[in-house]
Amino acid sequence: MLNINKSTDGSKLTVALEGRLDTNTSPDLETSLQESMDGITELVLDLEKLDYISSAGLRVLLAAHKIMSKQGSMKVIHVNTTVMEIFEITGFLDILTVE
Amino acid sequence: MPEKTIREMSEQERKRHSLASRVFHSTIIGSIILGITALLIGLGMFSYSLVDQYISEGFSLSENALHILERTVDIEPLSEAVMQEYRALRAADENTAYDQERFSSFAEREDYRTICSVMSEYLNFDQVEFVYLAMYDENTSSMVYIADPDDSEEHMMPGEWESVSKEGMQRFLNWDGTGRLYEIDKTEKYGWLCTTGVPFRGSDGEIKAFVLTDVSLANVVNGMKSFFWQYTAGVFLIMNLFGYLLIQRMKKTLVGPINAISQAAQDYVKDRREGNDVEDHFSSLNIKTGDEIENLSLVMSDMERDLAEHEEDLTRVTAEKERINTELSLANRIQTDMLPNIYPAFPEYPEFDIYAYSKPAREVGGDFYDYFLIDQDHLCMVMADVSGKGIPAALFMMASKIILSNNAMMNIRPSEILKNTNDLICSNNREEMFVTVWLGILEISTGKITAANAGHEYPAVMHENGRFGLIRDKHGFVIGGVSGLEYSDYEIDMKPGSKLFLYTDGVTEAADAASELFGTDRMLDALNSEPDADAMKLIKNIHDSISGFCGDTEQSDDITMLCLEYKGKEEMRDESEPHRQK
Repeated sequence: MLNINKSTDGSKLTVALEGRLDTNTSPDLETSLQESMDGITELVLDLEKLDYISSAGLRVLLAAHKIMSKQGSMKVIHVNTTVMEIFEITGFLDILTVE
Repeated sequence: MPEKTIREMSEQERKRHSLASRVFHSTIIGSIILGITALLIGLGMFSYSLVDQYISEGFSLSENALHILERTVDIEPLSEAVMQEYRALRAADENTAYDQERFSSFAEREDYRTICSVMSEYLNFDQVEFVYLAMYDENTSSMVYIADPDDSEEHMMPGEWESVSKEGMQRFLNWDGTGRLYEIDKTEKYGWLCTTGVPFRGSDGEIKAFVLTDVSLANVVNGMKSFFWQYTAGVFLIMNLFGYLLIQRMKKTLVGPINAISQAAQDYVKDRREGNDVEDHFSSLNIKTGDEIENLSLVMSDMERDLAEHEEDLTRVTAEKERINTELSLANRIQTDMLPNIYPAFPEYPEFDIYAYSKPAREVGGDFYDYFLIDQDHLCMVMADVSGKGIPAALFMMASKIILSNNAMMNIRPSEILKNTNDLICSNNREEMFVTVWLGILEISTGKITAANAGHEYPAVMHENGRFGLIRDKHGFVIGGVSGLEYSDYEIDMKPGSKLFLYTDGVTEAADAASELFGTDRMLDALNSEPDADAMKLIKNIHDSISGFCGDTEQSDDITMLCLEYKGKEEMRDESEPHRQK
């Protein structure tokens, strides 16, 4: 299960994720992001309540990162230890802007 | 008792269910009720009109007779005389009997004879039983005969009387001259009689006598009887004819078509069960009743066609699924065969032993391992995990595996292999897929492993101290994400007896029913439960541990493991294990 809470402030989009971002739920996030990324220059992903992220979820983050690197910036905030460990292992920590 | 199906019923039982006979029965019952009602009304009307006719005839006959009498003879003196004598007789004693002697003289009178002869003419009319002259005596409630022309045994003498009802008598005596004066009685002698009368008034205006005509209603009763039988016979005949025609019509327009539909449905089911391919059970019925039954047959025919189409679709979809499944299992075999899986893998090298295992969550997976000799002294090992699962991951895995091994064969360092692979994959990766790779090259003669890690799990190593632990190695980014990245090498120094365990996240992230993950701690515990076991046994231990942990929970991710046991050259083993005698 994954809850996606989006809030827009001008050209800033904040997406708070809650639950598990895995093979089953990552297509939802991918669709959801594709719908609302037009004209966005600042994308903030709040992962405070994200319990788990799988490689399929990382793929969505990578795709978002690539799009945002062309039209603005993207950062990931409130990363908990579980997700941070996955970021470390996969090297995403070096690519993403994590706060 | 459970209801029988129509197929289990005998011919007789089906007949009981016949619509035609049910309609026939209800029509007959309805006709009988209708017939009886019509019969009663008919009988009433018949008898009323006949009786009415008789009354009219009797009344006009009486009027006629009186009219003639008045012209022919004076009735008053005879009537007065007879009534006087009668009153005198009855005055003494009410119950006195008729005295023939006393009244016989009246029969000799001239006026009596004339009256009798006039009235006798009327006796010849149809249905007329008696025509006579009489008067009512109010005191004794009696009708006193004055003159009776009848010469049969029933002849009444002047002065003879009969008791009458007071009401009837009053009605006759007080008649106002409108309508017809009559009285209907059932007599023992003559059956139903209708008596009509016309009063004769004397010179003082008082009623002196009545001309009375008795008409027999026997004919009316007989007529009613024959009417009843004729009517009943007629109704019965018409009813049967009507019922027969109705049944014929019902059979043609209702029962026939319904039976045809029912038969078609049975044939349909039968043909379907026996696998006969007949598709026009209902559409060939051609029912043209122009009512609900025709609609029913059209609906059934539509249903048959829709079902046939649906079945065709289903067959096609099933065939398609079958084909995809066949292709998937073929793909699974190809993928499995792509990974080295013959053990012992390198029997000519006593320096090391390697064992690997991979089980995709679906038919095909994105995990893979690989090991191959680059040259006589270098063994390349790969453990990789493509993002996602299923066919997309499998295709990406195939490409990754081939690019990695091609690069590895160029005899360059692991970091360069990863960099080259990453750049090549990134150049054409619109789907943003990526693969995590741990790649290491073992120098067989020295036990030195040079490795690079592109976002893959930490390898576990067991050194001489006898326990497995994770190596927090330097991580690069996953392959396929961003081009132009640099990767760095690091070394693991394998001593004889050292073991290296590689795995994908399918191991650490295997979940139980409560979604708890297996984790690296459980993995290390499983490895350390029997650290001296050989590579194959170690992998089996992990596998059993995961199975025990997950229980019946479905495997959600591909699980892949590889274990290398380094034994070293014989002289090295002697060095490291001095206690062992050669």
